[in-house]
Amino acid sequence: MTEKKRIKNLSLMERIYIPEIAKGMWLTLKTMFKPSVTLQYPEVKFEPTGSYRGRPVLVKDQNEVERCVACGLCARVCPALAIEVQASETELEKERYPQKFEINMLRCIFCGLCEEVCPEEAIVMSKDYELVFSNRDDAIFGKDKLLVPVENLKERLDFLRKFKG
Amino acid sequence: MPTITIDGNKIDFSQGQTIIEVARAAGIEIPHFCWHPKLSVSGNCRVCLVEIEKMPKLAISCATIASDGMVVHTNSPKTLEARNAVMEFILINHPLDCPICDEAGECKLQEYAFAHSRGESRFDEIKNRKEKRVQLGPRIKFDGERCISCSRCIRFSDEIAKSNQLTFTNRGDKVTISTFPGESFDNPYTLNTTDICPVGALTNEDFRFKSRVWEMSSTKSVCVGCARGCNSEIWVRNNEVLRLTPRLNEEVNSYWMCDKGRLETFKHINAEDRISGTYIRKAGQLQKVEWKEALDVAAKSLRENKSNEIGFVGSALASCEDNYVLLKLAKQMNINITAFTNHIVTGDQDQILIREDKTPNSLGAELIGLNSNGVDLIYRMIKDGKLKALIIVEEDLGSLSEDWEQALGQLDLLIVTSTNSNKTTALADIVFPASTYAEKHGTFVNFQGRVQRIMPAVATEEEDRALDGMSMSRWDKFGTKFDRWMQGRKVDAKPSWKILSLLAAYLGIKMKFDMAEQVFEEISNTIDAFRGLDYDVIGELGAKVKINEKIKI
Amino acid sequence: MTLLETIIISLIKIVLIVVLLLLSVAYMVYFERKVSAWIQNRKGPNRVGWFGLLQPFADVFKLLFKEDIVPDKANKTLHTLAPFIALFVAFSTYAVIPIGPPVEILGYKINLVVADVNIGILWVLALTSLGVYGITFAGWSSGSKHSLLGGIRSSAQMISYEVSMGFSIAGVLLLSQSLQPMKIVQAQYGWMWNAVVQPIGFITFVVSAFAETNRLPFDLPEAEPELVGGYHTEYSSFKFAGFFLAEYANMIVASMVIVTLYLGGWQIPYIDKLGLNNNLTVLLQIGAFLLKTAFILFFFLWVRWSIPRFRYDQLMNLGWKVMFPLSLLNIVWVAVLIMIFGL
Repeated sequence: MTEKKRIKNLSLMERIYIPEIAKGMWLTLKTMFKPSVTLQYPEVKFEPTGSYRGRPVLVKDQNEVERCVACGLCARVCPALAIEVQASETELEKERYPQKFEINMLRCIFCGLCEEVCPEEAIVMSKDYELVFSNRDDAIFGKDKLLVPVENLKERLDFLRKFKG
Repeated sequence: MPTITIDGNKIDFSQGQTIIEVARAAGIEIPHFCWHPKLSVSGNCRVCLVEIEKMPKLAISCATIASDGMVVHTNSPKTLEARNAVMEFILINHPLDCPICDEAGECKLQEYAFAHSRGESRFDEIKNRKEKRVQLGPRIKFDGERCISCSRCIRFSDEIAKSNQLTFTNRGDKVTISTFPGESFDNPYTLNTTDICPVGALTNEDFRFKSRVWEMSSTKSVCVGCARGCNSEIWVRNNEVLRLTPRLNEEVNSYWMCDKGRLETFKHINAEDRISGTYIRKAGQLQKVEWKEALDVAAKSLRENKSNEIGFVGSALASCEDNYVLLKLAKQMNINITAFTNHIVTGDQDQILIREDKTPNSLGAELIGLNSNGVDLIYRMIKDGKLKALIIVEEDLGSLSEDWEQALGQLDLLIVTSTNSNKTTALADIVFPASTYAEKHGTFVNFQGRVQRIMPAVATEEEDRALDGMSMSRWDKFGTKFDRWMQGRKVDAKPSWKILSLLAAYLGIKMKFDMAEQVFEEISNTIDAFRGLDYDVIGELGAKVKINEKIKI
Repeated sequence: MTLLETIIISLIKIVLIVVLLLLSVAYMVYFERKVSAWIQNRKGPNRVGWFGLLQPFADVFKLLFKEDIVPDKANKTLHTLAPFIALFVAFSTYAVIPIGPPVEILGYKINLVVADVNIGILWVLALTSLGVYGITFAGWSSGSKHSLLGGIRSSAQMISYEVSMGFSIAGVLLLSQSLQPMKIVQAQYGWMWNAVVQPIGFITFVVSAFAETNRLPFDLPEAEPELVGGYHTEYSSFKFAGFFLAEYANMIVASMVIVTLYLGGWQIPYIDKLGLNNNLTVLLQIGAFLLKTAFILFFFLWVRWSIPRFRYDQLMNLGWKVMFPLSLLNIVWVAVLIMIFGL
């Protein structure tokens, strides 16, 4: 049998194991007396910061119109194929709007690529992490669930401008 | 033979060719916007500039005739610099609205901007505003801002469509394309301009914003609008045909296709009135039944009639395979009364593409052995009460005239295979759902005697995109049955030849065909005109049949 | 004492032991979850009852109400039998463990041990060997590759470590000159605890005890990441609960054996010199025994949540190349002690 190669040769003290084990046990013993970091979830809720990637939502501008122009880039870039967009024509200046915009939350992996690729800053990751549904159909979020007023997303939009340009 | 050196490759050419043509023939792509192989040279986009040794300035390769011994560089630093500069100029006033633009994904400007441009604009001023969403013609919308003034559409309307309807107006950066005031861009070929437009300035009203091009799958097919049989591509998303585009075939349609063929030959595929599943008339009403029952009843009722009281009607809309199986079944049942009908609109033709004969396969049906005059005989026989039962394949005889409608009503037994509900199916006793040309393999013979293949682009219930080797978009490849974008309607239909061979089995007649290819193999073995042909020989561009003197075209 | 009285007293002892043991097993589970939570900066069960104290009962009820699934390819008889073997072995070992000195209650002189037999230690060794059967049967009869591997590993592991365990005990027996647990405890009078006299033997025994009870770092028979659940992959409901109980009961018995053999059992050093009331002394001594056991139990948990699992070859290496020679060395050491000091 060939000699096993180690990254680092162990010293005698390390090879006896016992002192190393004692060191590890001392560490866990110390940890036992530290305060716990658990949040009592249903009563206490986690407040994410702007960098948090919760469920993706569509930005609704002050004029009550979604920013989205249904270019389909988010659908193209989505590695999990969660997004489906159907464009249609509108009289507004932007010409094009999403007649249907659906995100299958069972497929979504919260990677944020849709947000990154969006040319209109129209789809952003929200702070929403409580996603509950009891059947596949409920898991498909349409425009009714996706549109969120721009005021509620200010923190994320600021974060994007600051760190992603 | 004269030779020219392009990027170090020695290339033979024939006198009179331009540099871009020579390069293209040798597989070297020189960027171009305004040049088009089928249009005259205008040389106004300047993006095809190349460096030619011993020439003081760069020359546009589309307008420079190649001469013996020329040394051309398409990728030299000088060329690249000029190309980037031209791209930057063109992009100065081009809006950054690719997300909205329908052309995105198949846009020449987008591709070249990606491949050749410097990537960033140094233009700080406000871009030109021009008219957007101009209704240039009944089927075309024009976006002035996106236009890069290549004049391809103008040359097309002048040289190909020969309608002289478009022109540049204004000068300098205000230049735009318009028709004569009060006129509309309405020749029968307008939609070809959306194909040749290198940007998204001209858009197809019918397809506008329907889908991104990368979301669709495309399948090579043949237009069924007339006897020309233009080579086309069927674009499908979620099992729904969204548009047709022409496919290059110099022998048939070149780059072009008429608006009618492009817009009116696919709507019925996804129409509400598609027949899905088999129907039997019970107590005066057509009722949906299982295939088994329908075939059983059909076979039983056919046996009740004497063979000289049964007639078979094929169709010039159906493929050669459909008609062949129909004829074979008729022969096996000792039935001599077979026919099909032409659909000729006298006068509706031109010197470009459009033909009077509005069916894709009338020559094919004739070559297979159906008689185009036979329907009149059938009509008389029904009227005289000599014909009691009729099988009609994909032909709407009931809509031909009121007399026909009445005649069909007199029959004891009417079995129909049809793609959509129509007057004939309304009178039928048994209705079988037929696949459309976009749902099956098959062949059409166009007016030139050219056999061309059709391939399934839309899946029926018995087909599976992956297993049946149909073309698939990214959505199709990765979708599951739980995804809504995979749940597009699938019609329970079969190709007519399959329905007929199933019927044959129920009648106790041996006819073993599993694939359209097998049917065609038998056609090529038994019918002289098709001898030596098979699906591989026909390929994507079709092959000529051998027509003997008897058949008039 | 008449035979009847002996039987009645023994029955009372057995019932008491079983009931207390079941309770302590239940709370062992609770305690395990709490300790792991503390070590990982979490809170642990705190929803069911006060501080989550009713959690063990919730767990038990959950397990009982689950569907009992038996795989199609299982050997039904052995599959059912296996958890009972494991349970039986775990509980019977208690019979020979003394939790205090003999006392007088209602005029009867009672040994605080179910059976003060003179082959007590052999009984312990024999039963731990039998314990392998429960696990091997479970692994083999489930008809699953995960279970089978778990079962095979388990038997190999237990057999290997039993050797060094036996040799470690030999050192203890040399000193006490008896196989009777009561005598072994009494031999450790004062500070003459075996852990002090023969530390190498103590360490090898504790390590072997970990291996015998299939606790981390030696829980290869279970090895969740590689074997899913090892021998009990295919168990559910009450049968699974059986294995669960057996594991914790084994832990408790192992702790008690360690205390008895090495930590002076119920002995409190020099308590008889204080001149306390006899009954109080006994109570204190019982308390001392329980406290020592509790500490070893905590040590079990503490180790589990601190040290990662050994690889199989490392486990075998350790067993045969380290633990076995060390336990032999221990015997020599004890023999030398006896020769020099005439202990």
